[in-house]
Amino acid sequence: MSDAVLVVEDVSKSFGAVRAVDGATIDVARGSITALIGPNGAGKSSLFNVITGFERPERGRVRFDGRSIYRLPPHIIARRGLVRTFQLTKTLSVMTVLDNMLLAAKDHPGERLTSLVLQPRASRRRERTARERAGELLERFDLGPVSGDYAGTLSGGQRKLLELARALMLEPRLVLLDEPLAGVNPTLGRRLLGHIEELRERDATTFLFVEHDMEVVMNHSDRVIVMAQGKVIADGAPHEMRGNERVIEAYLGA
Amino acid sequence: MVATTFAWVSSPDFWINVAILTATYGIFALGIQLNKGTTGITNLAQAGFMAIGAYTFAILVVREGWNSWVAMLVGVGAAMVAAVLVGLPSLRLRADYFAITTLAFAEIVRYLADNSRDLTNGSQGLAGYNNDWFKLSLSMERRLDDAGIPTPGFLVPLALVSVALLLVLTLLVGALVRTPWGRVLRAIREDEDAARALGKNTLVYKLQSLALSAALAAVAGYVLAFNLTLLTPEQFDPVFTIFAYVIVILGGLGSYVGVVISSFVLMTLLEATRFVELPLPADRVAAVRFVIVGAVLMLLVAFRPQGILGKRQEMVLGE
Repeated sequence: MSDAVLVVEDVSKSFGAVRAVDGATIDVARGSITALIGPNGAGKSSLFNVITGFERPERGRVRFDGRSIYRLPPHIIARRGLVRTFQLTKTLSVMTVLDNMLLAAKDHPGERLTSLVLQPRASRRRERTARERAGELLERFDLGPVSGDYAGTLSGGQRKLLELARALMLEPRLVLLDEPLAGVNPTLGRRLLGHIEELRERDATTFLFVEHDMEVVMNHSDRVIVMAQGKVIADGAPHEMRGNERVIEAYLGA
Repeated sequence: MVATTFAWVSSPDFWINVAILTATYGIFALGIQLNKGTTGITNLAQAGFMAIGAYTFAILVVREGWNSWVAMLVGVGAAMVAAVLVGLPSLRLRADYFAITTLAFAEIVRYLADNSRDLTNGSQGLAGYNNDWFKLSLSMERRLDDAGIPTPGFLVPLALVSVALLLVLTLLVGALVRTPWGRVLRAIREDEDAARALGKNTLVYKLQSLALSAALAAVAGYVLAFNLTLLTPEQFDPVFTIFAYVIVILGGLGSYVGVVISSFVLMTLLEATRFVELPLPADRVAAVRFVIVGAVLMLLVAFRPQGILGKRQEMVLGE
């Protein structure tokens, strides 16, 4: 596919005798909202970890935006514009909501000791622009009023919102969301999905997300990839999945 | 029969001694605050880094006849290089492995100092490294006398210089951790994977934190060396590092001003308990002093677990 932002080919990752990812091949179309589903233990989170550099695969190919990111460390992959969130939210509790956002600012000279000391003005200037962007995003995500609070005081749903907003500070082209709606009340969940659709419209950001709620998958994704036992077993439009026997079999464990 | 004399309160010698010890332990513990309190890494090699700094300096002066101030710069550099060499393989490991590795490193340094007699004189001790310092100290004393400021004891210049160093370094490190650079360190303390997912090369930051801490240890080592006339390996016992952790916890995790206050409180307590008169032999009294200090620490942790200047909410949220 020429317009795939992410291409994963024949990737395998084992933990001891367990083949968590077993020759998985997927591609994600630019500007799409793609769902990755499958029963527990299908290897969805492991595949996420391999794509984002948190686990080193044994073999395969991973290309993002035409360049290989296979076996690159996570921070390099994130800087290239492929940003992830985690199944268990990783908001930094003892830092304020605003500091969580500012931390994600790209190319900040104040984060390097040399430029911090040698170019203090550049550092302050970048901090100002980062604050502006963080402020805008927090307003858009209704987190403006809590920007000075410790992130640890937020509700579960607010943390999911913060994690997405924080990922956006990196100006990503592809965002991987690992169960973005887990533990989020339906109202906040709808808002989060609204943000995702809006971002796709506005900035042509691509999303790949793991989700268990089939209603959400059917109504909010353009394409569904189904994994079971480390392999991709189905791939297509949401409505094509409804009657797919292999998918039913995987879920029912027949 | 327990009696305490309070004559020490008005003795200048007592307070000069407390000032120098506060500065030595305080500068040393600033590094642990940077590592543990801000970055969240458990560095148990601090006494080893101090030994590397102090011995590099002393050996270059005594054996090679270097200028003291140049030798001190080189000593700081040596401690930082050692920190990078220890950290490079071990900071990739799980946190507890890193702690064990650094503890082992500190012991290796001490054994090397003990056994490289050609360089360090082993347990006999290395002397003759403080001539440049004595010259400066004497001229400072003279100037203070000329200005009509009384100088009770030849250690007054060391007390002044070391306390000034402690305060300057506290402000400096305290300011550094409030920059965007320090924000990355705090993020690593909170959740290293989150920092990596946001594009931070966390290994580099942890190495920088460790190397800066080692530099502080080397500076503390010079104060220690000038307070003595002889460098011996047992002065660099790992228990020195444990004291730094006590100071950091007492002062409050993440608080740099807390380090200064708690170092002062702990050193006053330790020195003052020398004057407790107990119907016991002298060696037992030495042990009782530590029991008293331990009891005070336990009370503090029971009633103010976040430390003197720590934030209660941060402690609760951090769990």
